This record gives sequence, structure tokens and C-alpha cells, in this order.
Amino acid sequence: MKLIRKSASADAGRSSASAFPSMFHTAMDRRTFLRRSGLTAGAAAVGAALPPAMMRRAHAAGGEHSRKDGVPVEIRRSVCTHCSVGCSVIAEVQNGVWTGQEPDFDSPFNLGAHCAKGASLREHGVGEKRVKYPMKLEGGRWRRLSWEDAVNEIGDKFLQIRNESGPDSVWWCGSSKSNNEGSYLQRKFVAFWGTNNIDHQARICHSTTVAGVANTWGYGAMTNSYNDMHNCKSMIFVGSNAAEAHPVSMQHILRAKENGAKMIVVDPRFTRTAAHADQHISIRPGSDVPFIWGLLWHIFENGWEDREYIRQRVYGLDKVREEVAHWTPDRVEDVTSVPEDQMYQAAKTLAENRPGTIVWCMGGTQHHIGNNNTRAYCVLQLALGNIGKSGGGANIFRGHDNVQGATDVGPNCHTLPGYYGLSEGAWRHWARVWDVDYDYLRGRFDDGQYDAGGGNMTSPMNIAGIPVSRWIDGILEDPDNLSQRDNTRAIFIQGHAVNSQTRGPDMKEAIEKLEMVVVSDPYPTHLAVMSERTDGVYLLPTCTQFEQRGSVTASNRSLQWREQVIEPLFESKTDAQILYHFATKFGFADEMFKHIAIEGEDTPSPEDTLREINRGTWTIGYTGQSPERLKVHAQNKHTFDTTTLRAVGGPADGDYYGLPWPCWGTPEMNHPGTHVLYDPSQPVKDGGLTFRARFGVERNGESLLADGSYSVDSELDDGYPEFTFGMLRQLGWHTDLSRDELEVVASVAGVAAADVPGNLRMADEAVLEQLDGVNWKTDLSGGIQRVAIDHGCAPFGNAKARCEVWQFPDPIPVHREPLYTPRYDLVAQYPTYDDVRASYRLPTRYGSIQAEDFSKDYPLVFTSGRLVEYEGGGEETRSNPWLAELQQEMFVEIHPADANDRAIRDGQTVWLDGPEGGSIRIQAMVTERVPRGTVWTPFHFGGHFQGEDLVDRYPEGTAPYVRGEACNTATTYGYDSVTQMQETKSTLCQIRAA
Amino acid sequence: MRNAHSDYRRPLALVALLAGALFLGGCYEDAGDVTLYEPGEYKGEPDPLLDDSGTESFNEALRERFAAGQTDR
Amino acid sequence: MARMKFLCDAERCIECNACVTACKNENEVPWGVNRRRVVTLNDGVPGEKSISVACMHCTDAPCAAVCPVDCFYTTDDGIVLHDKDLCIGCGYCFYACPFGAPQYPKQEAFGVRGKMDKCTFCAGGPNDDNSDAEYSKYGANRVAEGKLPACAEMCSTKALLAGDGDMVADIYRERVMRRSGRPQTWGWDKAYGAGV
Repeated sequence: MKLIRKSASADAGRSSASAFPSMFHTAMDRRTFLRRSGLTAGAAAVGAALPPAMMRRAHAAGGEHSRKDGVPVEIRRSVCTHCSVGCSVIAEVQNGVWTGQEPDFDSPFNLGAHCAKGASLREHGVGEKRVKYPMKLEGGRWRRLSWEDAVNEIGDKFLQIRNESGPDSVWWCGSSKSNNEGSYLQRKFVAFWGTNNIDHQARICHSTTVAGVANTWGYGAMTNSYNDMHNCKSMIFVGSNAAEAHPVSMQHILRAKENGAKMIVVDPRFTRTAAHADQHISIRPGSDVPFIWGLLWHIFENGWEDREYIRQRVYGLDKVREEVAHWTPDRVEDVTSVPEDQMYQAAKTLAENRPGTIVWCMGGTQHHIGNNNTRAYCVLQLALGNIGKSGGGANIFRGHDNVQGATDVGPNCHTLPGYYGLSEGAWRHWARVWDVDYDYLRGRFDDGQYDAGGGNMTSPMNIAGIPVSRWIDGILEDPDNLSQRDNTRAIFIQGHAVNSQTRGPDMKEAIEKLEMVVVSDPYPTHLAVMSERTDGVYLLPTCTQFEQRGSVTASNRSLQWREQVIEPLFESKTDAQILYHFATKFGFADEMFKHIAIEGEDTPSPEDTLREINRGTWTIGYTGQSPERLKVHAQNKHTFDTTTLRAVGGPADGDYYGLPWPCWGTPEMNHPGTHVLYDPSQPVKDGGLTFRARFGVERNGESLLADGSYSVDSELDDGYPEFTFGMLRQLGWHTDLSRDELEVVASVAGVAAADVPGNLRMADEAVLEQLDGVNWKTDLSGGIQRVAIDHGCAPFGNAKARCEVWQFPDPIPVHREPLYTPRYDLVAQYPTYDDVRASYRLPTRYGSIQAEDFSKDYPLVFTSGRLVEYEGGGEETRSNPWLAELQQEMFVEIHPADANDRAIRDGQTVWLDGPEGGSIRIQAMVTERVPRGTVWTPFHFGGHFQGEDLVDRYPEGTAPYVRGEACNTATTYGYDSVTQMQETKSTLCQIRAA
Repeated sequence: MRNAHSDYRRPLALVALLAGALFLGGCYEDAGDVTLYEPGEYKGEPDPLLDDSGTESFNEALRERFAAGQTDR
Repeated sequence: MARMKFLCDAERCIECNACVTACKNENEVPWGVNRRRVVTLNDGVPGEKSISVACMHCTDAPCAAVCPVDCFYTTDDGIVLHDKDLCIGCGYCFYACPFGAPQYPKQEAFGVRGKMDKCTFCAGGPNDDNSDAEYSKYGANRVAEGKLPACAEMCSTKALLAGDGDMVADIYRERVMRRSGRPQTWGWDKAYGAGV
């Protein structure tokens, strides 16, 4: 046999770019697609138009983004931007091009591991589908324009709106995907613009967690860490599909399981996480409170609660007992659909395997009673004595990579950075930090008086702004019903996917009503194409986090420093740069960046910005994490233990990785950060804590302070309130303050330094009384915190966690049926709230929606969730061919019985109709993964609207490889009574063949 | 004018000649490009990796890498 | 002597597809070609298990046995590689392979068949190690750099292990020991009966 060997050209035997079919018509479900394309030679099947550059790159050596032999490689260290686990990334850069990605085995968070998204991060260095230069929609066509023209045109319009309708008529959106510095500047920016109308994705992911948890024991954050889960004896996941949403966390979870921990997954679906559990419990969506009370019923019935822990550290559990008594096993089964034996088994597992942790995510939070759900989870853990213990805790997995940081210091409509709120005191605190005059800031705001809720009239500076879940109502609502001067007339959205929000058709109408839409994003996003606008949409090309440096806060409250991997692609600018240009346009750049150096033309220094955050964020201990300390951690990851997260030797000896907040005091104080919140078994100086004294010292004559529980080395061996200068004085500890600290305390109190003598014992009592009100949150020197910790005390006091949140609509969490419920027969007994006149500036409907029974026409429960390949609204990940290839179709999971009842077969195209009129055309995936009567869709798709592919509306070359219906086109109204969280996890629908 | 014309033409002729030569060259089979197949014998390019693979130092490096990256640490 | 092996621990695999995209990223494998993929059994019902599959680098590789042009060779560490200049893209190895590992990129002019492409254990092919020519034809050669396959090194849960078979076995054995007695361990019921 004779063979002819061709000369070895690089392309020999490989395909080139253009030969693939442009459309892939065969219907495929989620997993079979992969199998078919992998197993059959002919199925080199392609879903969308092929990515020509990727193909070229795959074939030709010397492709623009391929590695080159012999070219020096520079190493850059960053952190994955696709979820809150905080996986370290090693990028290899050649000649400024990101050509390689290596696992970072040194990271104690991911030990080199990634999920599908993290393992394909290098595509961020290509960005083929990115917005490449500023563009505007004019007469139905996208037109390129310069940055200067874009800033001027947008700025002029915004100023015109400001003049006519006031600063509240522009609605801003920041991002949980911005770094800490960018998100902080987003919040600061709107303060100078003069509105609280800014928000970010935390509103629609864990706002009910933050509110519920912070109001139970002090801080609204994950109490322990992914790593600490190695120490769990049991783990219960409620509405969390970690295997798809936080895949690398499963490394720690499965390690715990191998160590013997029992794993329970509570989810309507049999998720991939459930596939690894010891017990899967399928509850009806929206029945979380009855489920948790049902567990507690067994715990109380069998005396499994931790009585000593409750006596020392928990307030108000007796009232919970009364509510729990109602939830007998038969009632629980009726409402949640979980039979008694399963409930008993789960309760027993949790009781017999302590410490145990609870993990919850969007399945629990995204309900109109989300704050009730989150507080019920907390109460369960308190009753079991699991909070404040290694291996226990409420391990609330956050979503986006910096959603924790953006919640802590970023663009929230209801608070200034650091959860200071919006009171005058809060504004004065930040005015001091920013070194601007309070009256100047006040003058930037509208001066009217509006209803802040319950008829309480106040000025817009002190009223929570319109939240991200409701911005469409700021446009659509009758202005007479708004708690601000006028409707929203323009929006500026920096890093947000609107297809992750409910009520698609209403959103379309709202967008069309606006005078201007500005999208500052790496991609055009669904927002740019979903409406029929032909004018007044601007796209500002915005950098990903790999084109800048800065800090990012993982779910466990650790901060990590990201190095810049590559220069901004195309004409992109960073969030901070864009804000700087608009601040300049609006004339407040000098004030806003007074203590933040501008590098080059327009780059606010990330280090200076973080230092400013350090100087102001005392409430949650964002003060010790200086850029210098974070960089030391980044260079010494290998010195941190993978379970305790503590450095053993090396330059960061004794620190917890990433200085998880609270990292008390100044950076010089060298606090190691707090790995496990509220753990009294450690001294506060080593990361120990008590529950925060946040809710006063007594309630109806009963003490709210801890009873006989205190942290190791505490000089106060009982509960105590939060520290003020006055409290230091009572204890005689005020003389421990240094002269410098004292002078800062005096200046915060408005007392001249000269009036405070060197020897405080000689000080005039009247002067000292003036200082008494300065507390651990407002003392800009950190001295009060330092002295408290020197005496072994937690600066925020030592109290009991509370089960009763008397300020909330439901002080003790109760069950309320979803607004769109399949069990209308239960509405009489478990009704929703009455409609609310003003909440976050808007009327909010409850009872008037639930008044109608939709369950006859829309009999299927509709819930949604994540796919591992995509993130959030999906624009970025659906534009990444390595990911897009793996999930090419939007689909709905439907039980075989429901499918057969509707004569629908696997893979068939169907319409899913929502009760508010939205319909989506998608593919049916018939599977027993969902229970009968419940359907599920992923929420990452966009670019289709009610059956129409909007590909022609994208600027040329920017349409994602994979497009599909946004599930939220068919979702419905419903908002949490405390935080305005949207209800996405329990609504109704009908499905019919298309 | 004539000169200019012929100057213009000469390279064209050259290109045509070259193209013709290349075209014909495509029909030519260089004996050096022929691989005679013998059952069971690999006659491809030698892989330089084979020089190292299997040596103790090479395996040791891979073992260290494995221990660093794929254990639970 | 070491024998390089993949092993996917089904108790740890969460079907996250990191191995698939890590492979695409590292080797710039084109759309439609999957050197590695995740296979799920009992999708969506109790007993659901996933494993990640690629070329298993068989000791007595059926692909090599049937190849009409003998384009395969095996390194001293047991990595099965092939010369794409010899390969005629016939697809016989695809018949022989029990794992569906061989892949055939689409050709511009001739429809479905191209030169066979498969997992190289990130060890490139018969070109100078990490040369541009090797990279374009076979992908990365991590092994020559003292690294192991990107899929395993980036596996989200360290389910997919790749390296010296003895070390892989040690880790796996330790995990199995630790899990023993948990009836949900894959295969436990079959081997020892339910409830043991």
C-alpha cells in the first residue's frame, strides 16, 4: 500500500471557517445535544452562525489570540467573574494578548478548580461580540460616535431632565459585577448627582437575605465560608443548586460529605445538587416557611433544640413556638406536599448531626415573602444552636462575583456604603469621609417632601430610591402615586441584564416610553434590542474586570485583589473611568474625586478608592483591608490553610485569607479578619465575635443582650451594648485612646481639639459629654474599635439574636400563599398582604392581585433557575463560543404526565403563557426532574421576544451566538414586603404546543 | 508608449510561466513524500516527547505536579 | 514506569462541563469537536451519575489496532497519540473505540470527514514540543512542560483525575474507603445489596 503524505501545512486536514451550516434546526434537549454532537461524526453540529475568528484561531498557528512559541509569557493573577466563590485565575499574557490560562493550585478557595465558565475565561480576552465603540441608535440604525460626543449628548440630555424634573428623574443602575471600587464610585456618583435612584442586582438576588439575616443577628452576609463546610456534620440546602450555580463550592461540600456529613437538598426539582444528596425533599414552590416550621415542629416535639444556647443567645423563640405549633405534620404535608416521614427524617438528621449548616439561594429569597423565608431559616439554625460555630452557620451563597462587595459598599437605593442608611447622620458621616460639605450634598437633591412609607413625609435625600426590581414602574406609574417629583425619564444602566427581571411586556412598554436609554456594558444586552425603539439608545463599551485592577469580595466576605490582565479591548473604558467622564461633564468631578488620584487621563486610582472605603466603612469592618494587605495575600495564597483559611507562617501569618469582614480597625491594627461570624470561642482580636447589639438593649422589659455568653478573653463577662465614647467612659477605658484618636473623635463630635486636654481626667465634663455620642461606626480614627477589642470586646456589642423582627410586616415569619398560587383554596387561610401605598417610592400591589384565581387557566407552577454554562442574563456567556456550544436552546422542563396531558413530546416547540400576558416560544424537555404540576426554565436567555428572534436589532457583529426567549417575559408581579425582591420562583403558567 | 507597454507585459508573462510550472509541479510525485505502509509499524514523524517520556526525572516532575494540583491539599 | 491514566470519580462529578471548556480553551478545539464530554446516566432521576469521558489512552488501543495506516503511537507513559499527516480520516478508529473518543472535524469541500482529532492527554503530537506547528495541529503539549491535562487540573471538584495511574488509584482508593458504608455510593447496592 502506498500513501501520499502531503506537506505539513498548518491547515492540513482541518476545516476552515465558513463551511458550517448556519442554522441547526433539529430540536435537541439539554444533554442529548452534547452526546449527539460528540458521538456522531456527522454531528459537528452548529447552533448559530459560526464564530469565524474562533474557528480561525482553532486552526491556524499564529492566530491573533493563540499562544506563540518563543514569545515571553507574563503571568497575571485575577479572580473569576462568574460567581461568588472567588476562584483564582492565572492568565498568561504574550505581547499584551491573553493566550493561556493556568489553574491556580495555591488558592485556598478553588485549589486550581473551575467550572465550565471559569475554565473558559480566556475568551474575555477575545470579546468578539463586544460593543467595540460608543454607538447610538438613530432612525433605527446603530451609528458609531466618539466618547466625547457620547458623553456630551447623554450629559446634555440628563442635565435637561434634571432641570425640568429634578435629579430623581434619571434612574441609574450599578452592578454586582463591578469591583468594590467601581461599585462604590457608582453609589458615590449618584450622591453627587443628587438622588438615591440607583440599585444593583443584589435587590433581585439576596436582598431578602440581607434584610432578614441582618435583622436577626446583625450582619447580612454568609456567616461562615465554603471552606469551613469541611467541618459540617450536616448540610441542608434550600433553594440552592450549588452544582450548577456555585460548582466549585461542591469541591468543599463533597469533601464534607466524604468526611461523613449528611446532605439534604430541598428543592422542587431533583437538581444536580440533589443527585449528590443523602435526602432530596421536593417542596411546592413558595412553601418554605411551612417547611421550616414543619422541621421545627419535630425538633420541638422531640426536645432537640439547644436549650442552653437559646437561653444565652436567642430572643423571642417562644413566639416562634406558638406559630410552629400550628404546623402539624398533616398541615405541612397539605401545604408543602412533603409527607411526615420525610420531615421527621430530615429533622432527625439535623438534630443528630451538629454542627450543621444551612445553605440557601434564590429558591428561598425570590418570593414576595422572601424576608419571612430567610428569617425562618435563621430561626431553625438558632434553635439547633448552629450559628457562631465552625461547621455550622448560615452559608448563604451569593450570586455574582462581587454582589457581596457591591451590597457592602456599592450602589444600593436604600443605603449609603456600609449599610449606614439614608438618615441625616449617615449622610453627615459620609460627607466627613468624602471631605465635602453636608449642605453641598443636600443642595444636590430635590427639596420636596414625599411619602417614605406609612405616610411618613420626608425629603428624597432620606427616602430609599426606586429599586432595580421596579425601575419599570418608575416610568409607568402615575406620577401622582410616586414619592418623588416626576417619573423616570431616562435610565443609565451600567452592568445589568434586564432579562433577569420579571414582567417582560411591561418592561418593553417602559423602555419605549423613556426619552433616553444608556447601556454601559461590555455587550449590548437584551435591553438594547427588546424594545421597538428606533432612537435614543446609547451603548457605551465598558471593560470587564480583566481589563482593570481592583478588589472583589467573595461570598464568604473575603476580599481578593485582581491584577489587570489585559489593556481595555477596543475603545472600552472601565466603570470608574466612565463615571469620571460624566462627573466632569456634570461639574462635580473635583468634589467627588477630591482624595482619589486620577491616573493618566481618566482613571480614578483603585488603590485610593479602596483606601477611601477603608476610611469610611466602620460598620462592617471594611477598614482593615488596605490594598497593600490584599496584595500580600494575593502573593502568598499558598500559605493559607484550605479549611481554616488562616495563614500559617509567611508574611500574612495569622490572617484569614482575604481578610473576611469585619476586619476591624485600621490596617495598621492588623486584625486578621473574621472567618466565622459570631463565634465566641475565639478572642475578637483573632476573629471571634458575639451577636451584634443592633436592636436596642431591651424589649418590653426583657433584655436583648446576651445572657452569660461572651467571647474568649472578653473583660465583660455578659452581654453589653454597642461601644460609644460614652460607654468607654463608663468603663474607664476612654483613657486608652491615643491623642490622635481622641482628636479625631473630637472632630467627629464637632469639638475643637484644643478643648480636649491631654490628660482626660482633667477634662471638663461638659466637653466629654459632647464626645459621648461618637460611636464605633462614626469614629473615623478606629480608636473606639481598637480599645474595645483590646479589652476583648466586640465593638458592636454582645446581644441575643432575635427571632422576632418587630419592625417588619410579619414580626414572626408566617406563610402567605404566592400571589399567583396553584392552591387558591389556601388563600383564605394564608392570604398575602394588603396593597401598600408607598414603598421605595412606589405603590405595591398584593391583595388586589391575589383577589383573582388564575389557577384554572394557568394550572402549572412556573419556577426558574440556573444552568452551569451561563451566568445571570447570559449575554456574556452566550457570547462565549466555548460555553454557547454546550447550551444552544432555551427550554422548559416539564413532567411526562403534564406533557402527555398536553400532547407534547420531548424536543417539541411549545408556547409557555404567563397569566399577565407574556408568552415565550421555547423547546419542551420532558423529564421527571420536575415534579408533576411544576415546570422550570433557565433564566439566562435573551435576544428573543414573544416568538421573535431579535438578531437584526443588534449592532453588527454583537449578537450572542446563542439567543432565546427570556423566561421573565412570562413571569409576573410580586415583590417582597421589606426589600422589593421580585417573585420569580413561584408563579403560574400554561403550556401548549406551538 | 510601446516601451511602456512591453514593460508592463513582461512581468505578466513571467507570472504566467511560474503559474504554469507550479500547476505542472502539482502532478509530480516526489519519491521522498511517499510512505510505504507496513502493517503494525508507525511511520509518522518521530515525537520529540518520546525522548523524555518514561525517564525518572520526567515522571517525577509529573508526580509532583499531580500532588500539587489534584489532591485535596 | 508510570502509566498515564484518567479516572472520573462519579461521586464527585457534578456535570459542570469545566473539563469540556478547559479542553476547548487549552487546545482551541473548534465548535462541534468534543475531545472530552460529560455523559450522564439516569438524567433527572434518583441515581443520576455523570462521568467525564475522553480518549482513555488504552494500553492495547483498539484504534491503533484497526488503523489502516498505523498512524498511532504510544509514549513510554502510555499516552496514545497519532500523526495527523498519516491519518486518512477514514473513521475506522471511531468504529473501534469503545468511548467514542475520535472526532472528525467538518471539511470545507468534502462534507463530514476530516483528519481524526482526539484527546492527546495534553501531550501534543509528533512535532517539536510546543511549536506553533504542533499547537495548531494537536493543541497544547502540557506534558512536555511538566504539567498534566487541563481538564483534570481545572476539574471543579477534583472528580476527574489525570496522572500516573498509581497515584490516581491511591487518591481514589482513599476516597472510596472514606465513603464506605454509604449506601448511595455508586455500585454499592449492586455489589453488596441494598441496606448493607
